[in-house]
Amino acid sequence: MHPTPGAPLSHPGWQKWPGTLLALAILLIALGGAGALLWQAPIPDLPRLWHNPYLRGVLSFSLWQAGLSVLLSLLLALPVARALDRQRHFPGRALLLRLMELSLVLPTIVAVSGIVGVYGRHGWLTGLLQGWHPALNWNLYGIHGILLAHVFFNAPLAARILLQALDGIPTPPKRIASQLGLGALWRWRALEWPALKPVIPGVAALIFTLCFTSFAIVMTLGGGPSTTTLEVEIYQSLRFEFDFGRAALLALIQLLVCGSLWWLVARRPLSATLVPDRRLGQLPPRRDNGPGVKIRDTALLSAFTLFLLLPLLAILVRGVPGLVDLFAPATGDAALSRMVQATLRSLAIALPAGLMAVVSALLMLASQRTASRVATLAPYLPLILPPLVLGTGLFLLLRPRLGSSAEGLMLVALINAMMALPFVLQLLKGPLNALDQASARQADQLGILGWYRWRWLYWPRLRRPLALGMAYGTGLSLGDFGVIALFGTPDQPTLPMLLYQQLGSYQMSAAAASGLWLILLLLALFGLFNLLGRPAAGTGVRSGANVEKLEPVHA
Amino acid sequence: MLIRIASLLVTALLTAVASAQPVLNVYTNPSFAAEWGPGPGIKAAFEQQCDCQLNLVVMESGGDILQRLRLEGADSQADVVLGLDTGTLEAARKTGLLAPHQVNLANLDLPIDWTDPVFVPFDWGYFAFVYDREQLPNPPASLEALINAPDDLKIIIQDPRTSTPGLGLLLWMRKVYGDQAPAMWEKLKGKILTTTKSWSDGYFSLFMNGEAPMILSYSTSPAYHMAVDKTDRYQAAAFSEGHYLQVEVAALVKHSDQQALGRQFLQFMLTPAFQRHIPLKNVMYPAIDLGSELPDVFQRLIQPEKTLYFDPAEVARERRNWLDEWLNAMTR
Repeated sequence: MHPTPGAPLSHPGWQKWPGTLLALAILLIALGGAGALLWQAPIPDLPRLWHNPYLRGVLSFSLWQAGLSVLLSLLLALPVARALDRQRHFPGRALLLRLMELSLVLPTIVAVSGIVGVYGRHGWLTGLLQGWHPALNWNLYGIHGILLAHVFFNAPLAARILLQALDGIPTPPKRIASQLGLGALWRWRALEWPALKPVIPGVAALIFTLCFTSFAIVMTLGGGPSTTTLEVEIYQSLRFEFDFGRAALLALIQLLVCGSLWWLVARRPLSATLVPDRRLGQLPPRRDNGPGVKIRDTALLSAFTLFLLLPLLAILVRGVPGLVDLFAPATGDAALSRMVQATLRSLAIALPAGLMAVVSALLMLASQRTASRVATLAPYLPLILPPLVLGTGLFLLLRPRLGSSAEGLMLVALINAMMALPFVLQLLKGPLNALDQASARQADQLGILGWYRWRWLYWPRLRRPLALGMAYGTGLSLGDFGVIALFGTPDQPTLPMLLYQQLGSYQMSAAAASGLWLILLLLALFGLFNLLGRPAAGTGVRSGANVEKLEPVHA
Repeated sequence: MLIRIASLLVTALLTAVASAQPVLNVYTNPSFAAEWGPGPGIKAAFEQQCDCQLNLVVMESGGDILQRLRLEGADSQADVVLGLDTGTLEAARKTGLLAPHQVNLANLDLPIDWTDPVFVPFDWGYFAFVYDREQLPNPPASLEALINAPDDLKIIIQDPRTSTPGLGLLLWMRKVYGDQAPAMWEKLKGKILTTTKSWSDGYFSLFMNGEAPMILSYSTSPAYHMAVDKTDRYQAAAFSEGHYLQVEVAALVKHSDQQALGRQFLQFMLTPAFQRHIPLKNVMYPAIDLGSELPDVFQRLIQPEKTLYFDPAEVARERRNWLDEWLNAMTR
């Protein structure tokens, strides 16, 4: 195949090199971080560390709770995603989708406060439960609390990605299924499972890694030191013992566990769909959507909505008085302008971070067909390595100068983009690979390459996932506190920093208000990006031969 | 066009003038530097008398300040570190990166004698259990009573591995019970609702949500609730065995090129111009006698009969052992 002269960016190198270089850069930074720590300190006695029964207990607890969290999250996410796929007219579907997107990016301390407000000793549901069945003796603190919080954070993420995979099933097989009158079981076997199969391992690995490295949630809801994850030990070694060698070694164990999981996931080649993806305006009717199913789905989706909504309501109830105070004329403008400035500062970091995450994800996915497995795995390293190890390593490598706040903010945006990359990759992977081979071959023959191929073939398909990826990237950065605090900034706080400053100074009501404000901002952001992701009527680029009408209410 | 160039020149000149002033970089923690914290007032007061610029650089916590200092080593841009405490200062001393302060400590007003050549205290407080009077009208009057209370009395503590007050309670128990401490922890265990990563996690997410009537905090916490929130609902429980002391300190960085200015700042720390910002903005006791400037609510705080305190060197030596003891007792 020869590129059409004049098609910009059509040289194959443009597909391969930017992504590969990015992957190598991340690899260098991540391993440089852990390496720098090891180089700074003597390597601890390996066999002794291994035979320490306490550490082994910590490792097996980390594995156990992460495994259970993955299982429960997927068990909830699968039926929810299928129900959402079936019930396109479920009232409040769009809102539910926004809530699902929100749960991942909520700052932990705010979310935990909401969960405690609902399920804690004096929580709303606990009260109801005790009144109804006093013998149940529900206690949030312990493994239940950890699992509940992990499912709250991760099941919506999983359901969101699975739903996207179901959305990606091309229309022709759906039409055939409809004409054959396939029932639920056969539809699952013929359509849904093949669409979900390539996505599930990645989702499972993602959730496993998030839960394995979980830290503040495990400590707050775990009840005591018998529920300790490896991340706690790493934090302690770095922050309190200054035992860099031990920290780096524990980080390497973490890398080994989560990394080998990702290694297994990456081994499965992603199968591109074979059937041409031509979309129709109207989805064909389904046999598996009778009244009984509808009632069941509605019940499930309503319960799931409540599960996500109740903690947010608890946060709302707690935050409103402070927010009202903030806008009250008596408070004066200082507090409000502080909040507005912190918001702008946060957005100035988060929007570029989101953009960088999305662009790098695209470049990396483009290079993945040719790249080695190491390059494919590199973007997941920031997720696996503890932020403290990564940050310390980056610090040793980059040595940011103080006082130059522009430089500091750019660095924070860069690291935030790196941290968001794994999520954005998971979101874009499916849709990008969904371009069927027939269409791709046709495009090759017609010389639609480089920029034009991107503009006319990928963009229409990717517009919506890209908007969602951008929302996730921006949202994750907006709620991030760790990285900013790591590098030490001059006294101008971002929104999460403001929240933590208020917490540290007993301003509990103001902190609750900041938390609520942050959540409202995140919701607005997800709503906005969702709007941007919708093709505008009349100007939207059509994919395939058939004109695509406005699709049903949709992600 | 000319005007624009002229204004550009003026701006450039002005910044040049501004940067001709020496800059003192102080590494500190977020609550100190917050706009409503003591930082801004102290910055203004010091800049009035030093003909310099005070630059507060925010790190996540006392542990991070030390971490950053170690990573930067001899190239550190810090001139002063402010916000270490009696739990971390020995580790900071061992880095060899700090210089003797040469400050006159005569007007210090602490419950213990302080003669450390490197660290200058800027505030102090006692660890204490703060309780909610509406949930718990009669709190235990001693550590003993708390340990022997029925298990339906729930308390929230912080993890000694990750938090300063958490380590404080570990030392408190050790000071009172010595080798019996692990056995006492086992008796206390049933009352511990949960062990949070940081003070904020417990105070905000749990205690203020009414999850437990008591939380490990500072004896000065009620001062904020009484003076600013205008409520008497949250009070500290006075324990008859005495309370464990925390002293927060600052120190001069050895490789600083602003040694004289740094020492001037450390001396300034022990004057009312600095200290008057401490009681309500850092919610701790000032390190000098403020006389009538001490807010009235501080008279209403508990006054421990006995101050419990370990020498920082001993803490540094035994910490690991005591932590392991605690872990064993709590996971048994």
